[in-house]
Amino acid sequence: MDRQRILDDGLLTSYLLGTLSAEQHNEVSRILGEDKELQEQYQLLEADFERLAMENAIAPPPAALSGLKNQLESESGSPVIPISSANKNFTILRSRLLVAASLAALFALGTFWFYSRWQNTLGDLEELRLQTANLQNQMNSLEGNLTLTTQQFQKLTNPDVIPMVLEGNDLLPNSRAVAYINPVSKEVVVNPIGLPPLGPDQTYQMWADVEGVMINMGLVPTDEAFVELTFIDHAESLNITIEPAGGNDHPTVENLISSVLL
Amino acid sequence: MAKLAEDIPHIKKLQAGDKGALYELYTKYSAALYGVIIRMCREENLAQEVLQDTFLKIWKQIHTYDPEKGRFYTWAYRIARNTTLNALRKNNDLIQKEDLSVYKDMEAEEEERDYSQINGMLRNLEPHHQKAIDLVYFKGMTHREAHEEMGVPLGTFKSYVQQALRQLRTAYGKEIFMLLFFIKLWFGNG
Repeated sequence: MDRQRILDDGLLTSYLLGTLSAEQHNEVSRILGEDKELQEQYQLLEADFERLAMENAIAPPPAALSGLKNQLESESGSPVIPISSANKNFTILRSRLLVAASLAALFALGTFWFYSRWQNTLGDLEELRLQTANLQNQMNSLEGNLTLTTQQFQKLTNPDVIPMVLEGNDLLPNSRAVAYINPVSKEVVVNPIGLPPLGPDQTYQMWADVEGVMINMGLVPTDEAFVELTFIDHAESLNITIEPAGGNDHPTVENLISSVLL
Repeated sequence: MAKLAEDIPHIKKLQAGDKGALYELYTKYSAALYGVIIRMCREENLAQEVLQDTFLKIWKQIHTYDPEKGRFYTWAYRIARNTTLNALRKNNDLIQKEDLSVYKDMEAEEEERDYSQINGMLRNLEPHHQKAIDLVYFKGMTHREAHEEMGVPLGTFKSYVQQALRQLRTAYGKEIFMLLFFIKLWFGNG
């Protein structure tokens, strides 16, 4: 038997539990006496098992101790211990227990205080982390908005852009939309803020007239400041109609509310 | 070797024939030993008898205990385990020879209390690791008996025990580390 076999076969545990044969027990004991490192492992194992036992301790009934005292008494025929000595021992034990209990209570309070502080700090840290994350999100959102606005501004202020005002006809005399057309980059942006809002089952739709054929440029929702539409080459006029929600394949000419020649 | 320094004075007094020292050790270790014995016996009267016998043996055999070879508790545990197994064997012989109904009634009464519950760090282990430690430590089985009880190969069972002990070591080690940490923090902060 050697150290490796003791470790591989878990013989240290069996040795501790007392389940080895006498021969094996003596052999492990001998090797333990010679091997410092193995001794250290065994000491930890003993400490762990003792701790395990203490955690699972069950107080025996008081009768067990009195029974033991009676048995010892009857075997030896001498008093167990003098009463005065017992009282003295008990008093010493009680004082020690009181000191130990006080120290334990103090330590428990201290531990609890540090634990509370630790938990509070963790809570604060988590809150700060959330606030930082929120601020980061807000900043990202603002950056996105700024980029969009800058792009829209650049589109509107481009020298190639031609603004066209679409005034409302008799159907909607007070309506007004502005289309910004860039024939170079082939882009159309419409500001529909002057168009009165429609019911949920209707929508504005813009059309380009190319040689008498109305070609769909896209829907014009009134809740957006700038609506990008499809640029149509060779358009002769721009027209806005009111169509059922979702748009139409062909314009409903009787619902034409605005038109401008290009 | 693995001696607990605070036990040494009691053990020396005990070896010199001082019964008071035995009662001091009883105060310190009887609950831990009774926890093992009652889990093996599952019968209070028998467990009390075994506990008394264990301490009588400690009293009589203390001259054979060598603190250099291990902790007092480990030595006492071995005595308790063997005493319990012998008592259980005797009890089984009696049951086979005598009126079975008496013992059935006793068992029925004892079933009212559950001694099998485990506590402490062991409860944090996985069920098969808990079971492995329970069988070898609290049921007093050898590895061979325990692997059959669990229905797994011997090698597998041994690895369960080793894994469970490693996890306990880590858990207890962490507790000690936390304790030292708090002590350092406490005194560090003045």
